[in-house]
Amino acid sequence: MDPFATLGVPRRYELDLLAVEKTHRELSRALHPDRFAGASPSERRDALAKAVEVNEAWRILRDPIRRAEALLRLLGVPVGEDREPKADPDFLMEMLEQREALAEAKASRDLPAVRSLAKGIEGRARAVEGELGTAFDLDESAQGAAAREAVVRKLGELRFYRRFLEEVSAIEDELAA
Amino acid sequence: MSLFEIFDPKAPPRPIGIDLGTTNSLVAYVSNERPVAIADCDLEVLVPSAVTYLPGGDVAVGRRALALAAEYPRDTIVSVKRYMGRGADDPETRRLGPYEFAAAEPGQANTVRFRVAGDRSVTPVEVSAEILRALKRQAEDELRHVGGAVITVPAYFDDAQRQSTKDAARLAGLEVLRLLNEPTAAALAYGLEKKKDGLFAVYDLGGGTFDVTILVLDNGVFQVRSTGGDSALGGDDMDRAIAHHLLAKLGFDDARQTPQLVRLVLDEARKAKHALTTQDTVVAEVPEHQRISLARAHFEELIRPLLERTGSVCRRALKDARIAAARLDGVILVGGATRVPAVRRYVAELFGREPLVDIDPDQVVALGAAVQAELLAGEGRSDEVLLLDVIPLSLGIEVGGGVVDKVLPRNSSIPCAATATYTTQEDNQTGFEVHVLQGERELVADNRSLARFTLKGIPPMPAGMARLEVTFAVDADGLLGVRAREVTTGIEQSVSVKPSYGLDDATVERMLLEALDHGEEDLRARRVAEHRVEARRILAATAKALATDGDLLEAGERERIELACQALDRAAQQSDDPGRLHSAIEALDDATKAFAGRRMNRAIAHAIEGQRVDAVEKKVEHAKGIDEAHALHGPQLRTGGAR
Repeated sequence: MDPFATLGVPRRYELDLLAVEKTHRELSRALHPDRFAGASPSERRDALAKAVEVNEAWRILRDPIRRAEALLRLLGVPVGEDREPKADPDFLMEMLEQREALAEAKASRDLPAVRSLAKGIEGRARAVEGELGTAFDLDESAQGAAAREAVVRKLGELRFYRRFLEEVSAIEDELAA
Repeated sequence: MSLFEIFDPKAPPRPIGIDLGTTNSLVAYVSNERPVAIADCDLEVLVPSAVTYLPGGDVAVGRRALALAAEYPRDTIVSVKRYMGRGADDPETRRLGPYEFAAAEPGQANTVRFRVAGDRSVTPVEVSAEILRALKRQAEDELRHVGGAVITVPAYFDDAQRQSTKDAARLAGLEVLRLLNEPTAAALAYGLEKKKDGLFAVYDLGGGTFDVTILVLDNGVFQVRSTGGDSALGGDDMDRAIAHHLLAKLGFDDARQTPQLVRLVLDEARKAKHALTTQDTVVAEVPEHQRISLARAHFEELIRPLLERTGSVCRRALKDARIAAARLDGVILVGGATRVPAVRRYVAELFGREPLVDIDPDQVVALGAAVQAELLAGEGRSDEVLLLDVIPLSLGIEVGGGVVDKVLPRNSSIPCAATATYTTQEDNQTGFEVHVLQGERELVADNRSLARFTLKGIPPMPAGMARLEVTFAVDADGLLGVRAREVTTGIEQSVSVKPSYGLDDATVERMLLEALDHGEEDLRARRVAEHRVEARRILAATAKALATDGDLLEAGERERIELACQALDRAAQQSDDPGRLHSAIEALDDATKAFAGRRMNRAIAHAIEGQRVDAVEKKVEHAKGIDEAHALHGPQLRTGGAR
């Protein structure tokens, strides 16, 4: 499936998400199961399959990581953590340190420290997302393997940040309860 | 209701909306395009969600059950919703309450079982079915003939809890048109009355559950941006906080707390909470003729931790929706507990605006459910109003090292499906265990286990060679189905996730038969009735499709479709054979298949095209603004731009 085609938007990383969301909403309106409540079983099935596809496309495009993965796949680059090159050891070491700092903040129930660690990572995630946009544009013009590798590396970083922030959410819940 | 309607023997079935609440339940329907709640013979709208099992087999529901609670504390089940879909070993089951629990017999699922009326044991599903039955009767008294029902559930209800709710409805003999998330229902009730576009938050603090939902309202479409909640937090916890305080002041330690005492003090706590809505202090009359005064300020202190918990859930939901509180156009309050002044103050502070309270917070959910039921039953304006809901919790499967791989992230729009591919970890692994989990945490142990099954019969291969595709599909009710398939061999297995606490189909059927005391005949009659309703719906939809999209028909197609329509119409009028009705429905389905596909493509093209035209028009509007200075060229530019 090409989520860009499904939602009728150009194949690029930088998207106007509000406009894409609006298109998604209009398609969902046209395909929603409620509108087919009285339809024949096969029509209901078709509409359901289309609605599922439209929702999947939106789920992919609205997410910076899934969107990058989809673009790479369409460019014929294998994605998925076990198929990508290993992360840079320095980066891994740094993430390990950040995780340890997070675990310490959790152990001492220090919510401000947890939040400040999260803020740092959120900023880095935003920066990488911006870089990804540029990298994808370069990639399209240069079509270079080096450029692609840079994209994949950034994608890997983004995954680490995502997991870190999910852990932060879980810790916030725990400390709030 | 007029006399004519009461005596109309051919009154069509009316769809109803049901709010199956923790503390109170109620039923509503749409009358003259306005949702109204249905009152009982005492003109009361709220039915307390209480059921008393009396010695001798009688069952009392609602206010009668509450009146019997003091005499039969163990046999009167209140707040049963809190136990829905929970295991007997769940911490929630062991919280403060007067009940006695029965152990599961060998072979029975690990469901909570209340021991009532001597040696009877009932599950939360059966207790809920009693409440639904009472609501159905109340609706029948008003409407004669009740059609399908939309039943609301907290957005945060997990799969087990949703399934249990559906099971209860089936036991009560109700056709479930849809399970609807409570906050979405509330927005529907408000949206229809106000016809507003914008961003809304629904803050729903009920008896036992808390939900917050961030919604976009856009031209009749309600889209859920994010949801959050806590299925074990509500007004009951305020009562408990007061009760704990009272018991401590009285010097009762745990050993001296009899079920009767706990029940009395909880009732007294609830009364105190209600009184403090309007009064500054209240005197609680507690057992052994003691009187304890409680100031509102002290009460607010007692519940502050509960409010803080709702606050952190709200902040998370806003973050998930990627919006700041300041961008909201309104905050809707739902649930009786939002009557507490401290809650309203806290919400106003949290969101930076005064919440909307125009509709009775106890009724708003049922009213919204009635609106949705009317839309689904096909009588309403389904072209205008739709709900785009999301899954509240991420769904994933266990991968190596006790880690969860998320297949569908939370806040994905439903219906949805996703496939993830895995491989084997060991050489010659012939089975692959699929462990389905729900939740946001990284580790399996911190999430809720929904189902486990093993895909067997994979031929021996080196590790990493087998390719296992796992597909998750969530339907419009938010219920999950899982399919696993080994790609190289095509071996496949699927489960619809009937979590360990739900009832299997055979059990429901058996309980249904026991309840009906009639057996086969009734089920057959019911199937015929269901097929007839479906036939009518399909015939109406087909006629409409032929009228609006007739230009898409190919030569001879209209004739084939019309013949199939006539055959189905005849069958629906004359036949009592469910098999014949079913095949007539299928025949029409076959005849319209290709036509339906073309209509679908047209609808999709319209939706995407409409967007492009919109976007262009916006640009043109903008260009027109700039162009105002060169007024002469305005019209030309506009036409040119829109093309």
